[in-house]
Amino acid sequence: MSAGAAAEAPRRRYELDDQGFDEVPRRYRKYYRRWGGPADELAPNEVLCPVCKVVVRSPRELRPGDRVYCMACMTRMRVVRTDNGRLEAEVEY
Amino acid sequence: MSSELGEVHGLPPEAFREQVRSFQFWFDAVQGYLEGQEYGHRDHPEAPALDEDERERLITVLCNYCVGETAALEGAGGLIRLAPNREAKVFLSTQTVDEGRHLEVLTHRMRELGVDDVEAAIARRANPSLVRFKQRLLDLIERGHWTSAVFAQNVVLEAMEFAVFRRHAQVADPITAEVLAGIVKDERRHIGFGENTLGRALRDAPAVGLELRALRRELDSLVLTSLEHTLSDLHASTQEKTDLSRDYLQAVTRLGFA
Repeated sequence: MSAGAAAEAPRRRYELDDQGFDEVPRRYRKYYRRWGGPADELAPNEVLCPVCKVVVRSPRELRPGDRVYCMACMTRMRVVRTDNGRLEAEVEY
Repeated sequence: MSSELGEVHGLPPEAFREQVRSFQFWFDAVQGYLEGQEYGHRDHPEAPALDEDERERLITVLCNYCVGETAALEGAGGLIRLAPNREAKVFLSTQTVDEGRHLEVLTHRMRELGVDDVEAAIARRANPSLVRFKQRLLDLIERGHWTSAVFAQNVVLEAMEFAVFRRHAQVADPITAEVLAGIVKDERRHIGFGENTLGRALRDAPAVGLELRALRRELDSLVLTSLEHTLSDLHASTQEKTDLSRDYLQAVTRLGFA
């Protein structure tokens, strides 16, 4: 599938579960999980917060241009695709 | 589209900022990881006794952590008066409580390790570079330099502590590791507050960057010297020292001070 077609395809949905991330109020825990280091492969609905190294999760597949928040460090981020095709988050002040 | 990404990610930026900087948010967050602990840790009957060399090195490291935490405690409290808005004042009140807790759990850990006179131990073992850093930070606050003081405290000092505590928690004895892991959870909020506050200040008034760039040059030598000493006490390898220095520098790089 081309990048254009992928961008137009419906987003995959994900059921978020509480993975024990205890640094935010209970109702928001499912949106975050601990990062396991460089070997921890992120799912299409996840990006790593560059500020505090927590994995930020969404109930939908993420795409470039999406805005997400890291509640653990109170940071707003924009999802970008890097040269190697991975999704990453850039801080927006 | 953002609302499809979940209730958190759909919040308007202003609403998100007001919520996460509130005392209520802080209370709900810390309850999750502090409940059930006493002085930052649970009982660890399995914890092995440290040999004398390990114990001595750990006490020296903890003394220096106490200098940093005392700087942050006095700094965060002093910054409340300088903060330009209510949100920042409330957030800094929560940071002040966090820093007071850090100082208390660290000194309590030293007593558990057999240190009778904690203040004397800190005075004897504190790294002079870190003491100078603390004096410089408090001087910035005394003179009312809000952005410079936030940079020194919530970016430079907190970024160094965040990098070192995370590494130390991975190799420490179980009690010290739990104490440090709890502190790291608090530090996430502190580094985020600093980077976001300064990021917005630099976006709105780029000239602020000149002042902060000069301050960074001055503080880097103090912080990196202190970092080097602490990592040596923790038996960090040359590669680990390089990696941690890089972690520390990431925040200042994101702000454009590489």
